[in-house]
Amino acid sequence: MTAASPAPPMSPNQARPDTITVFLAVYGLLLRSIATRGRLIGIGALAGVSLVTALLVNSTDPYDSSTAALGFVNGNLSTLLPVAVLVFGSAAIGDLVDDGSLVYLWLRPVRPSIHVVAAIAATLTVVTPLVGLPVVLATAMIDSDPDVVSAAVVGGLVALVAYSALFVAAGIRLRRPLPWGLVYILIWEGFVASAGETAGRLAIRGYVRSILSQMTGLELKLANVNLASGIIVPLVVAVAAAFYGSRRLARTDVA
Amino acid sequence: MTNPDTNVAPVTGMVDVEAASKWFGDVVAVSEVSFSLDAGVTAMLGPNGAGKSTLLRMVCGLTRTDQGTVRVLGRDPRTDLDVRGRIGIAPQQEAVFEALDAHSFVRLAGVLCGVADPDGAAASALRLVELDPADTRRITSYSKGMRQRVKLAQALVNDPAVLVLDEPLTGLDPRQRGHMIDLFAKLGEQGRCVIVSSHVLDEVERFGSRVLVVAQGRLAASGDFRAIRDLMDDRPHRIRVRTDQPRELAARLVDGAGVLGVRLEPPSAGRPGGVVVDTNDAARFRTEVAVASRDLSATLWEVTPLDDDLESVFRYLVQP
Repeated sequence: MTAASPAPPMSPNQARPDTITVFLAVYGLLLRSIATRGRLIGIGALAGVSLVTALLVNSTDPYDSSTAALGFVNGNLSTLLPVAVLVFGSAAIGDLVDDGSLVYLWLRPVRPSIHVVAAIAATLTVVTPLVGLPVVLATAMIDSDPDVVSAAVVGGLVALVAYSALFVAAGIRLRRPLPWGLVYILIWEGFVASAGETAGRLAIRGYVRSILSQMTGLELKLANVNLASGIIVPLVVAVAAAFYGSRRLARTDVA
Repeated sequence: MTNPDTNVAPVTGMVDVEAASKWFGDVVAVSEVSFSLDAGVTAMLGPNGAGKSTLLRMVCGLTRTDQGTVRVLGRDPRTDLDVRGRIGIAPQQEAVFEALDAHSFVRLAGVLCGVADPDGAAASALRLVELDPADTRRITSYSKGMRQRVKLAQALVNDPAVLVLDEPLTGLDPRQRGHMIDLFAKLGEQGRCVIVSSHVLDEVERFGSRVLVVAQGRLAASGDFRAIRDLMDDRPHRIRVRTDQPRELAARLVDGAGVLGVRLEPPSAGRPGGVVVDTNDAARFRTEVAVASRDLSATLWEVTPLDDDLESVFRYLVQP
């Protein structure tokens, strides 16, 4: 069966794919894949609950609106937003790994980092309007102070980017990213990292909390890093997670 | 994509597998398999769990080779991005991107491979497998056979040099199977290396005669299956002879060199009786039967090997 032969030339109709074109194609695919009706309704309903809660808080009188708004946005950026990002982010590539359709992306002349960045972008595209905006709006309903609103915007964006990269990487690395992600959000960030300063530095929540505190001048428990660190460290974590996810995707065994 | 670099190994075949092994924990899925394939269709055969799919995944670089090497067009498909654009795969699993319609799915494959006109290429690939490029239904609404053809279309859209098809005939009706078999043969004749795994042996036989037989993770045999059969000295050849003098011919043949047994077949359904001979030297037997017939003035109507079909060869190779 063996016969010496030169490698066939590249197909004349083929060229190295353009990065932007490939990114947009993968982004579009992943966006359509993760935005299922069930997920949108479920997470959208949670965002709706957040808005209703803001209305209830707003109707309570008298109250310290800045403190209430800060507590509200802190709670939402600590639980609702990471859970929403987990649901969509871990599914972006994780679903393809689970059902075996990853082969149709993997076996192409495309760098894995493009898939990972496209997955992060798709997650941000869904979660930002579905949860990010409602949380900021709800915060503004409670207190329209520009410092509070801008803190919610900056904290929300930093949290979105960091959690998206983390949970996209988790979807590539873990067989069951949802329960593991919930353990991280609820157990690690919710309890362990809230217990002390050192552990708090190992949780995105701690940095987001610091952003909120620094930008509003109001105190929050364990919000003990400066504003620059509060923004930079989660973004560095996001880059590291994206890098790890890309490496892992390149080395993964594809079914 | 074929720009020279230091990572290119000397090319012997389009697909070169050298002492490749793969294990999952304690289970050895593929053990020291070596083969080299060039243009044409090669059928990969083996019972369930023999390691065929793992071997195909290794050829595509989808899974790491724990030992040995795999080269496609002289490059490592596991690490070389460029060579991936020259491979087309239709995997065994049914999952596809279900949010898409068939044209979008195939077009996406074209875009990711850098095809110049992905729309046109997708439409051509879909027509090649007898699907309508204008069908806007999601793939979720497709039958199993239609999904199978969509998978084939996306494997073809980048005009690959190496085509790996894992059980591509599953779910297809007989007419579609015939069409696909013809298509595979045509692709092989055009200079592509087409590797097809299948359980349907009588259809595999129609791809051509080149086979890779995998059993228990090892390569049991490779090459032309009729040549493989001839090399199997430990298995007697079974040959049927139809003649107007079966008893007389049987009596002459029973003492022939290399003849291990002779059995008379009674006439049935309007067909004349025959003699079934087991021999360990088929070539010599063919000479002897001609001489014996001439001596007896018997008319020979048929001399047919009964066990050099693919199914018999496969059975001999994979059964202990």
